[in-house]
Amino acid sequence: MLSQLERLSREVDGRYASDAELTFAIDYVRSFNLRLQTYQKLQELEATLIQQTYAKMRSIDPTVFNTGGVDLSGKWKRDTLRTMRYVATAVLMDDADTFRERMLLWFQTLMRAFGAQRSCNLTYQVMQDVVKQYLTTPQADLVCPLLELSRRVLGTIA
Amino acid sequence: MATETQNPLKRRYPKKHNHYGFQDFFQFDPDKGTIVDWNNSQNILTTEDFIVGLVEGLQEEVGDASAATMYTIGCEWGQKDAFFFEKWFEQEFDRNMRQTNLMFLLETWWWPFTSQGWGRWEVDMGDRRQGFMFINIFDSAVARTLGDVGKPVCYLYAGLFAGFFTELVKKQLSCIEIQCYSMGETYCKFLLGGQDRIDAAAFWLNEGATARDIEKRLRTGEVLR
Repeated sequence: MLSQLERLSREVDGRYASDAELTFAIDYVRSFNLRLQTYQKLQELEATLIQQTYAKMRSIDPTVFNTGGVDLSGKWKRDTLRTMRYVATAVLMDDADTFRERMLLWFQTLMRAFGAQRSCNLTYQVMQDVVKQYLTTPQADLVCPLLELSRRVLGTIA
Repeated sequence: MATETQNPLKRRYPKKHNHYGFQDFFQFDPDKGTIVDWNNSQNILTTEDFIVGLVEGLQEEVGDASAATMYTIGCEWGQKDAFFFEKWFEQEFDRNMRQTNLMFLLETWWWPFTSQGWGRWEVDMGDRRQGFMFINIFDSAVARTLGDVGKPVCYLYAGLFAGFFTELVKKQLSCIEIQCYSMGETYCKFLLGGQDRIDAAAFWLNEGATARDIEKRLRTGEVLR
């Protein structure tokens, strides 16, 4: 939303915006209640969603949190929590571009540095299933595209 | 140049690590006419004309020595930046940089350069044990500006890597660009290592070898006789 507003303010320099150019703002206002509810639900369920994702990942791949005998569970939880909070903000603001620019592109280089792409791929894939269990369909429809974006950016092996 | 001004976001979240978005990283002060980055360095915006002027002006002044001059400028910059980096890294992460995962450290070092427009990078440490490594730069500011001139042009970057890594590993290292966007390639490739290897690569490059030939020769342990 903020990125789109910024873009609009540049594009309409010295003129009025057309109805078509304002559609995104009207859509945003209409979707705001749902966004706010989803944001609050993510805040409320944060620990559960992360714990469920963790448990499900372990059942799929018992070695996923263990690299060379080192237990990475704590690190994974901190990283996933951080991404999730940015996802929640992106849902509220309807701003995937800012999420990508301020968080994902930076985090991608670190995940590659640690060779964590496989774990990221699984994390954001499993988390989409978990989110669908706990959130209503319209809420999950706002969250899952951002989790899929996270999976693609963080989980792809270059 | 360090200044007293501090980014308000940094004042509030001094340990925030993902601060490389344009609006987070740079603090514009329209009254003073300054641009200060997250690490309190003063930045200036330059046009491509500035880079052309720098490269061509130097060429006119010192002729063929301009490449070595740019490399030397880069080296000094890299050495100074290693100390500067050590300071801000330890402040931000509360950790000695020598007790940190190397790839994480390097990615953290390069991020301010990415924000400043020096291009994205990729480090290939696969041959580290053999005493050399490769760095790829996508979208080099120098090469992108000069366009296809048929030869490597990113001496400033080569010097920067040599200077920084020399300080990091406390061992004299040199660097050479073995493939450049300005040679019509899609990205620039740098070889970093001891002087003997860099001399060998320079010789092979001069003889018409490609980056791939050079990689192959180094990996098979070929050296200059």
